[in-house]
Amino acid sequence: MKGKKKKEAKEKIIRAEDQWEPIGHTPMPDVTDLRNWDRRLLETYKPFYAPFCDLCCLCTYGKCDLTGTNRGACGIDIAAQQGRIVTLACCMGMSAHAGHAAHIIDYLIEKHGEDYPIDLGDQVNVECPNIRTVLGLKPETLGDLKTAVQYAAEQLVHVVSSTHTGQEGDAVDYESKALHISMLDHVCMEAADVAQIVGFKFPTSVADTPIVDMGWGSIDASKPVILVVGHNPASSAEIIDYLRKKGLEDKVEIGGICCTALETTRYSDKAKVIGPLSRQLFFVRTGIADVIVADEQCIRTDLVEEASKVGSVVIASSDKACRGLQEVSDKPTDEVVKAMVDNGKHVLILDHEKAAEVAVEAALKIAPKRKKEKTALIDKAKAQELAQACKECGSCEEVCPNLQPVGSAIKKLAEGDFEPFKQVFENCIGCGKCEEACPQDIPIFQLMQAVASWDTWKCRAGRGPVMDTEIRKVGAPIVLGTIPGVLAFVGCSNFPNEIDEIAEMVDEFARRKYIVVLTGCSAMTVGMRKDKEGKTLYEKYPGDFDAGGVVNIGSCVANAHITGAAMKIANIFANLPLRANYEVIADYIYNRVGAVGVAWGAMSQKAASIATGCNRLGIPVVLGPHSAKYRRLYMSDKEEGDWTVMDGRKKELVDTEEPSPEHLATVVESKERAMVTIAKLCIRKNDTQPGRQIKLNHYIDLYKKFFGTLPDDLHHFVRTERDIPMFFKKEVKQFLEEKGWKPKPVLSLPTLIGTYETEVPIEATIR
Amino acid sequence: MPHPQHLVNILTGIKGATEMKDAVPLAKIIKKAERPLLVIGPRALELEIDGRPFIEYLVEIARAGKIPICATAHTKKKLLELGVTPESTYDIIEIINSLKNPEWKGVKGEGCHDFVLFGGIRTDLGNQGLSALKHFAPHLKTMTLCKYYYPNANFSLPNYRKDEEWKTLLEGLIAGLK
Repeated sequence: MKGKKKKEAKEKIIRAEDQWEPIGHTPMPDVTDLRNWDRRLLETYKPFYAPFCDLCCLCTYGKCDLTGTNRGACGIDIAAQQGRIVTLACCMGMSAHAGHAAHIIDYLIEKHGEDYPIDLGDQVNVECPNIRTVLGLKPETLGDLKTAVQYAAEQLVHVVSSTHTGQEGDAVDYESKALHISMLDHVCMEAADVAQIVGFKFPTSVADTPIVDMGWGSIDASKPVILVVGHNPASSAEIIDYLRKKGLEDKVEIGGICCTALETTRYSDKAKVIGPLSRQLFFVRTGIADVIVADEQCIRTDLVEEASKVGSVVIASSDKACRGLQEVSDKPTDEVVKAMVDNGKHVLILDHEKAAEVAVEAALKIAPKRKKEKTALIDKAKAQELAQACKECGSCEEVCPNLQPVGSAIKKLAEGDFEPFKQVFENCIGCGKCEEACPQDIPIFQLMQAVASWDTWKCRAGRGPVMDTEIRKVGAPIVLGTIPGVLAFVGCSNFPNEIDEIAEMVDEFARRKYIVVLTGCSAMTVGMRKDKEGKTLYEKYPGDFDAGGVVNIGSCVANAHITGAAMKIANIFANLPLRANYEVIADYIYNRVGAVGVAWGAMSQKAASIATGCNRLGIPVVLGPHSAKYRRLYMSDKEEGDWTVMDGRKKELVDTEEPSPEHLATVVESKERAMVTIAKLCIRKNDTQPGRQIKLNHYIDLYKKFFGTLPDDLHHFVRTERDIPMFFKKEVKQFLEEKGWKPKPVLSLPTLIGTYETEVPIEATIR
Repeated sequence: MPHPQHLVNILTGIKGATEMKDAVPLAKIIKKAERPLLVIGPRALELEIDGRPFIEYLVEIARAGKIPICATAHTKKKLLELGVTPESTYDIIEIINSLKNPEWKGVKGEGCHDFVLFGGIRTDLGNQGLSALKHFAPHLKTMTLCKYYYPNANFSLPNYRKDEEWKTLLEGLIAGLK
């Protein structure tokens, strides 16, 4: 809805009178305010749908068959239905971060007050580029962050409502809504992480964050052990505070799984990263944890049942995941601890300070009683004995979501060959479906204890926003192309063989002097491989946001700092105003910043909204093979597509004939293909000739390494002969001749502004 | 309707693949196609049938039926080693995206394909890709040559417990296409 009063309300919220930058065309955009930008992108990158289901089952008109030309009883067709489901998935993902942000900001406002200032240190002045660009607000306090999240939440209501029966009916319009809500996901993630950084005093304005211990083997099981699982650091920070207050930091082990682990190690270098999401069930079943404190997102929903099996106790600490437990927030600590220690009672505590006190006191009392359970890990001989019950029925293999040869590996294990089962564990996503399906009741996850490496690894603690000073240094080489790309490895684990494959990809590109950033479970898995000298990639490469750096940005919510870094390049290097200037900034990033997201093991709806938010900003994303199950990609028609852009300085439409970036969201099947695709997707129309030479050099080199020849489509990416890398000059020239290649138009300032209906003038793209 | 080997690919719908256990009708169907295409994925490099790589069977099928090849993922290198130059190296989702368009020029520039065979694609990715074609490419038919049942294809081999049965079918198909 548009209106004078609404405009005035927005101006009040963003403090329009503040003159830090001119206000752009879309302050606090409503659902359709960036619709034309989306439609322009989706003209080139059409939604590719791979339906999970032939039917719609969302209302009592159905089930409706949507195959062929059939429509649902409401009139919807299969494409719009896919757009609808994707929109819902993005809403789920965004709401998880919005919920997280809302909670953590309220919690920190309780502690510090609404006017608590945002200070990210002396190296970060552009504190919240997503909030600045989307809302037009320059947040100064925790209260401002709350305002940003409240705006996003209101937009969420509108978008979710569009998925009701009889609302939106067009696939591309659904995609526009998915893009809108996913853009706001980055706003919410940014609000959450910035609040955490200032509220908990996490590291900021520093690249060289501590290297922390990682792996289940790093936990000293002889001590009381508290496991924290999830994403919200409120409880884990309180636990560390309590341990510090009581002088118990060296007497109680605290280890984390999933993003809470990353947050906890930003708060205390004594905390350990146990591992990524895929190791949750494995670690819980080892029984090493005395107390498990669960917060929110990506926690196993059967955590209470699993903990009970090994005598661990659970404290649920989020209203989003109460797990049917009795709330004891107001009961005396001694009483709660007694019930947990004597009766193994699991509880819900929504007061984080109380949850922390209970967790520590319960762990101290339970640990001595659980010595047997904590050391009940099975050895190889026992594993081999248990494996002999296998009848080779294949049930375990049928149910494995990662298609692993579980059964044949168990059979080999029974014969004394442990290697195949070890490989299955390496590739295990940790769901437990195999064990559930086994008619012989073989404790498959226990068998894993015998083959799992109890070695320890190293992970660099998350560092939050990329510093403005770093952007000043790398902005020009990134935009000119002489730093060939910024690659963001993000997402969950452990699809398809992530631990090995992410490390291999990161190593390949860091060696080639790309900037590699990581978040979430990917940031952990990359540390789970060592080279011949026993070094992890975090020890091998520096943590600077610079060529050849391997940077752990932080947890899932720190993904906003990756899009934020791209925005900062437009702002700090190119001097474009961010304020409510989304189209101009996205257009700049799309045409100039060779950034690519890689969500290799992605599983969650959050990963869907994070990636889709990158897409609206013009950043392509490469997904692992199983991610075809996300149902939707954004694919171009390659060289047959329309690659016309506006030359901003000449104000002329130019058919560039160059499919760059080739896709906005694509799935590839193998790590080899992924590496070739990543190198190609870094190509941007604005690359200078030296920059393009460098990018093509890597593309050709990787293609030859994995495919054996020059790239079949190389001629589409050579604009003039000066783009040809020196090293391959002779053979490329011969190839171009065979292809009948002719030089392509040279652009002075490529932009999509002016190629579609928008209020933004072409001049806005020029600084 | 049979279940797929991997239950993550279970059909949630009504339109499932016809199971093909006999090579003779299969060869006839392929021969009827005007512009068939064989898409070869990276699992074909890993799988062996009786000690022989699956990719070699696929190459023989292509040769016998004079079917052009699209080499996805990183299969091109192995094909070149086998003396075969694939007509296309589009990746799996790219080729499926192109196949959706009935006006597409095809891998030989002669027009879109009307019958597409797949071999060596990871089952979850393959089944999703086949879903895209099932729903959005009514102008073509699909067929899978892996040893598992793919519900979203038009024609699929069954789940073979024994590789000998799979081998027999593939050899029968090669003979039938000659």
